[in-house]
Amino acid sequence: MSGGVVAEGLVKRFGSFTALAGVDFSVEEGTVVGLLGPNGAGKTTTIRILTTLLRPDGGRAAVAGYDVARSPQLVRAVIGLTGQYAAVDDDLSGRENLVLVGRLSRMAKRAASERAAVLLSAFSLVEASDRLLRTYSGGMRRRLDLAASLMVAPPVLFLDEPTTGLDPRSRLQLWDVIHGLRAQGTTIVLTTQYLEEADQLTDRISVIDGGLVIAEGTADELKAAVGGDVLDLKLADRARTADAAATLAKAFGVPEDELTVDAELGSVLVPVSGAAALIEAVRALDAAHVPVADIGLRRPSLDDVFLSLTGHVADERPEMAAPSARRRSMMGA
Amino acid sequence: MAGITLPAQLAGTPESRAALPPARVVADIALVAGRNLRKVLRNTRLIVFSTIQPLLQLILFAYVFAGVARVPGTSYKNFVVPGVIVQTMVFSAMGTGVGIANDLHTGMIDRFRSLPIARSAFLVGRTVSDSLRLGIQSVLLVIAASIIGFRFHNGALAAVGMMVVVVLFGMALTAFSAWLGLTLRDPESVQAAAFIPILPLIFTSSAFAPVNRLPGWMQPLAKVNPVTAAIDTARGLAFGGSHTATAAWHFAAWWVAIVAVFTALAVRRYRLG
Repeated sequence: MSGGVVAEGLVKRFGSFTALAGVDFSVEEGTVVGLLGPNGAGKTTTIRILTTLLRPDGGRAAVAGYDVARSPQLVRAVIGLTGQYAAVDDDLSGRENLVLVGRLSRMAKRAASERAAVLLSAFSLVEASDRLLRTYSGGMRRRLDLAASLMVAPPVLFLDEPTTGLDPRSRLQLWDVIHGLRAQGTTIVLTTQYLEEADQLTDRISVIDGGLVIAEGTADELKAAVGGDVLDLKLADRARTADAAATLAKAFGVPEDELTVDAELGSVLVPVSGAAALIEAVRALDAAHVPVADIGLRRPSLDDVFLSLTGHVADERPEMAAPSARRRSMMGA
Repeated sequence: MAGITLPAQLAGTPESRAALPPARVVADIALVAGRNLRKVLRNTRLIVFSTIQPLLQLILFAYVFAGVARVPGTSYKNFVVPGVIVQTMVFSAMGTGVGIANDLHTGMIDRFRSLPIARSAFLVGRTVSDSLRLGIQSVLLVIAASIIGFRFHNGALAAVGMMVVVVLFGMALTAFSAWLGLTLRDPESVQAAAFIPILPLIFTSSAFAPVNRLPGWMQPLAKVNPVTAAIDTARGLAFGGSHTATAAWHFAAWWVAIVAVFTALAVRRYRLG
């Protein structure tokens, strides 16, 4: 049995609301897998089941070979969890928070304080070690929360939106930590709404929406599945955005609603294939006298993948009703 | 998927057979209780205000009403002290639910539940630390009361007995409070909701006047009231009296009922997550 994480057909209902409708999910030992999805997709529910905080209504899951429903205590001994809200105690100091978690994880007093000192220094919290948590900034709290999850160096680590609400610098610091843990062989399950984060940190990605995993693969595989290239145009004059969109739609013979148009930014995105499209676009725009600030071809980003899979952008709330037609076709594919 | 599937049989024993050794359970409870007490000590303002409030009440009752109120057997000042102390225990017990709701709110409860600790440690640790808090508070109040003239008439052992009774009553109500905290999950709501049953129970009890001086319609309510049972037992121990034994039985029955019902409800809530 692998030391990773496996879930088969996880179902969870809250009253009449089905949060998980049969989630299949797996993480090979020593890899980082991203669970990607909008708010309410079922990411947190999945994490809560895998970390024994919730019992599933159906399906099975194992962490490091232990059944999460049958042997929760054995699972708890091998996992670390950093939830969506920094689970730290405001009335304790940074050091006291870490030592408490260490002692509750069966570490001896001495070992717990030594480990706490190592982590406080690794997370640049040495100076704040003995200050109460209520004086910490948001970024410091998140770092301490993550440090608390690492007190026993768990082989499997669950990070539920670890960087939500963090400033860019703190986010990059957390990314470094996660890269470091992966290099040491920690298995990591990470949820995020930030597609760039998934791109940066994960080996594989599972896209979850409406309580189901609707796509799975490496970031490159997912991008390739969308197919083709994206022509990315920035206009010199935002007032001409609509003209540019009409010109390009005509030039490439695609309906205008397949273009992504942002009049405020003065940008237009067109799905195309091949480098010749770039020349064609420049010619068409020049002929229509639309001045161009910047134009280029790029591979689809994870944002494009997300949009194409779910029919909505990553940080939008999904409709609670039936899945969109687009999603149905993806599920059938 | 990545090609990993689950074998039919997974490793590990079912949890019921993997019970923790008692020493570990005790150690976990001590760690959780220690953490809670540390939080209490760090909130000095809360300690100061929650001690000043009953002290003020003691002084007001002892000096304002002592002149007009007459009670049989002892002075009104003496009479009202056990009432105010029991009332303080009731209010303080509501801190349990507020603390639990806070831990739910901040995610600390998830932190504890995701650690391999004894499942009982969170709730039992809370009970231990809150009982200590109630004990310290009741001792402080008795000291303050004796400064303004409160006296036990019934010997040292009975005095200790009174302290035990008031703290036991507070402990029983921490079970109710814990259930409220786990159900409502929001500190402010717990505080507001707790007053709904508590205020009428306190004011229809023997806290501030003997039951036979209350309005006629209120007397049957006051007689079955658990707060009356606790206060009459405490008074009996402090000053002696013929119906102390009856009050004590009454108190014991209420205590067992409150603890049994609300512990069961709270544990069920806690398990549901």
